[in-house]
Amino acid sequence: MRYLSRAPALRVHSVRAGAAIVLFLGYADLVNGGVTGAPVLLVVGYLLLVPAVILTWR
Amino acid sequence: MALARSPKILIHDTPAPSYGIAGLVGLAVFALYVITLAPTTAMWDASEYITAAYILGIPHPPGNPLFVLLGRVASLMPVGSVAVRVNLLAAFCSSMSAAIWFLVAERVLVAWSNIRWTRIVAAVTAALLGATTFTVWNQSVVNEKVYTVSLAFFAVVSWLTVRWCDDPDGPVADRLLVMIAYLIGLGYCNHPAGLLVGPAVAVAVIVRRPRTLVRWRLLLAGALAMVLGLTPFMVEPIRAAWHPALNEGEPTGCTDKIGFSCTFSHTTAVRLMANVNRDQYGKPDLTLRQAPFSAQMGMWWLYFKWQWLRDSRGTAPAMQLLLALGFLALGIYGGVTHWRYEKPSFWFFGPLVLTVTVALVYYMNFKYGSSQAPGLSGVAREVRDRDYFYLWSFSTWSVWAALGLAALWKDLAGRITGPDARRWMASSPILLFGLIPFAGNWRDASRARETATREWAHDLLNSVEPYGILVTLGDNDTFPLWYAQEVEGIRPDVTVAVTSLLSTDWYPRGLLRRKITPYDAAHGPAAYRNLGLPVPTKPILSLTIDQLNAIPEYVDVREPQIFQAGTLKAVVDPRRLEYGVPTRGDLIVLQFIKDNLNVRPVYIARTSGGYVQALGLEPYALVQGLAVKIMPSAVMPTADTLAAPGVGHIDVRRTLDLWNGYGMPKAVISRGDWVDRPSIGIPALYIGTASMIAEVLDRRADSTGSDRMRKIAMDLAESTRLMDFMQARAPSRAPSESGDGRAQQKIPIRP
Repeated sequence: MRYLSRAPALRVHSVRAGAAIVLFLGYADLVNGGVTGAPVLLVVGYLLLVPAVILTWR
Repeated sequence: MALARSPKILIHDTPAPSYGIAGLVGLAVFALYVITLAPTTAMWDASEYITAAYILGIPHPPGNPLFVLLGRVASLMPVGSVAVRVNLLAAFCSSMSAAIWFLVAERVLVAWSNIRWTRIVAAVTAALLGATTFTVWNQSVVNEKVYTVSLAFFAVVSWLTVRWCDDPDGPVADRLLVMIAYLIGLGYCNHPAGLLVGPAVAVAVIVRRPRTLVRWRLLLAGALAMVLGLTPFMVEPIRAAWHPALNEGEPTGCTDKIGFSCTFSHTTAVRLMANVNRDQYGKPDLTLRQAPFSAQMGMWWLYFKWQWLRDSRGTAPAMQLLLALGFLALGIYGGVTHWRYEKPSFWFFGPLVLTVTVALVYYMNFKYGSSQAPGLSGVAREVRDRDYFYLWSFSTWSVWAALGLAALWKDLAGRITGPDARRWMASSPILLFGLIPFAGNWRDASRARETATREWAHDLLNSVEPYGILVTLGDNDTFPLWYAQEVEGIRPDVTVAVTSLLSTDWYPRGLLRRKITPYDAAHGPAAYRNLGLPVPTKPILSLTIDQLNAIPEYVDVREPQIFQAGTLKAVVDPRRLEYGVPTRGDLIVLQFIKDNLNVRPVYIARTSGGYVQALGLEPYALVQGLAVKIMPSAVMPTADTLAAPGVGHIDVRRTLDLWNGYGMPKAVISRGDWVDRPSIGIPALYIGTASMIAEVLDRRADSTGSDRMRKIAMDLAESTRLMDFMQARAPSRAPSESGDGRAQQKIPIRP
């Protein structure tokens, strides 16, 4: 737990920004008809990065 | 001490969870699933979901966007075929669940024993027991549904809640709750079953820390997280606007291409919500019970009995009952043990078990089960067995059953004298009881070497001449064909039109949009090599989208009606149609015939029962393999065209040629069983066809040929346990046409 609460601010912000960017790119690709990059980005965003954001939320 | 071993997320002063061993348990279960994995698709929804995943399409409502995304990513893995990759996703999710049930059981058992290895052994039993119950195992070796993904979410949320229950005031507690809310939302995007865990979480929170309910900031964070978890539903209208081949519900207002205004339109919102809320199925209000609640619990009990010894051949009903009673008692004892040793998590797990058994049975409100009370006639039944809806029930019950076993183990160990280790070891054989499902279910749960569905799809598609329209009736004569066409590229020139969906507004639109794919003669049946059919240029219907949309849901006529198209004149008897009146689907089928008589061949799958007769088309029906071709004029007997009572006429040469290329008989005989009885009509169709060919060959004095066909029919019947059907099989009589002098009207088919 202490590990989580001590997460450096930069890392926390990076994870948040990363999640937002990955989800945005995923949807952007989907809107353009992408069927390969879009699902990969959305799965990574929803299943890895957003949970990481929640667990590192300060 | 434990704190020191768990540098990351560690709550309270409980021993650190054995994550490494959980991983090994997950791996072992995964290995079991891989060994028994289906090498391709299967009956029912497997083909639909594999296809949806592969093409990033939209399966039946609610559309399961999270599953589709996960399935698509799985389909990109560089192992095996596309079907195997998606099947592996199911295996992975279930083995992950098993690993998590290990963690949950281990945690619950902390106060039960202070000897770590005993907790680990008992928890391994819990994981293996849950993983080998029939439905969990059977659903984990082919991606038939989205429920294994649901099970994984269910297990993860369970574990997080158990951890929260350990220390609801701890520094990580709020984050865990927010995460749980997020995962429930995300799980809902896989299937509404994602919500099943919600009531149990709520009870746990109310009992453990009721003041959480007045912490508005936390509640707001949870609500926002849940909304974020629901956002994958945005995938549906975006993908729908690209009109993929599988676009069920068509949740978009865009007609040609994706655009801002049509995506953010009222039409899109209405269609998306109809999909999410599953309006298409029009399930009755819960107060209108589709069967008595006692019968619905009886259905659950029937499937509960299957879990520990499936016994699909019905050879050991007493043993099956005995085991079911045993595991029922063990589960109850396990629940008591849970309450006794670990109240905090009981307040979550207890309501969870209640939710996925009694509450779920009430909520699902099923009709009588397909296999339930076979002697009971005149009751509405589900088209197939719905054991998969209780996957979560059997999985969680297994955890309690294993806790019950653990409690018995401890009781026994307490009766033996000697050192601790010796007492535990001496009494440990009792845990072998937990391996019974592993041994008892292997034969029925395994899908290894099960290739019949794929072969069936190839055979049925190849029964249709190039560019034909094939009218099908249900899941099993439709979804496998979608899979074959979209995933394997088999006969995409054929237009498959399923009557149940023709009655929707979106499906006929999708058929009109479908592009005509040139026929690949090199890979098609030899019988079509020299037909020289040109690529049709006309669409499959002469109607515009608006005209199509204007076709009524049904026409309220009950008396025989005349349908005429060129020289074809049929008497449609609404009383013989499924709903007693011509529905939108029936009208569109007739429109297909009218618009395509001299353009492209129209076929009706022979799985359609009496549909050809109900439409009055028997005089025009020519059996070619597994489908019936509707001819422009009445079929006349020739040397190669013989009368076949009940089905019209049979094109002997074509059917024989096609039969020689069929792969399903070999696949079924090689597998040696047909576990799923509700789909038994498929092998029965082959048996009927082989017998019919044998009779025809008899008439031609070709005894060698007829003996060969009879042997195939017998082998098929033996392999699928259809010997009774084989022996009782007699040529069915053609139903008498109307001719009773009642008024006949014209059906409103457009000119």
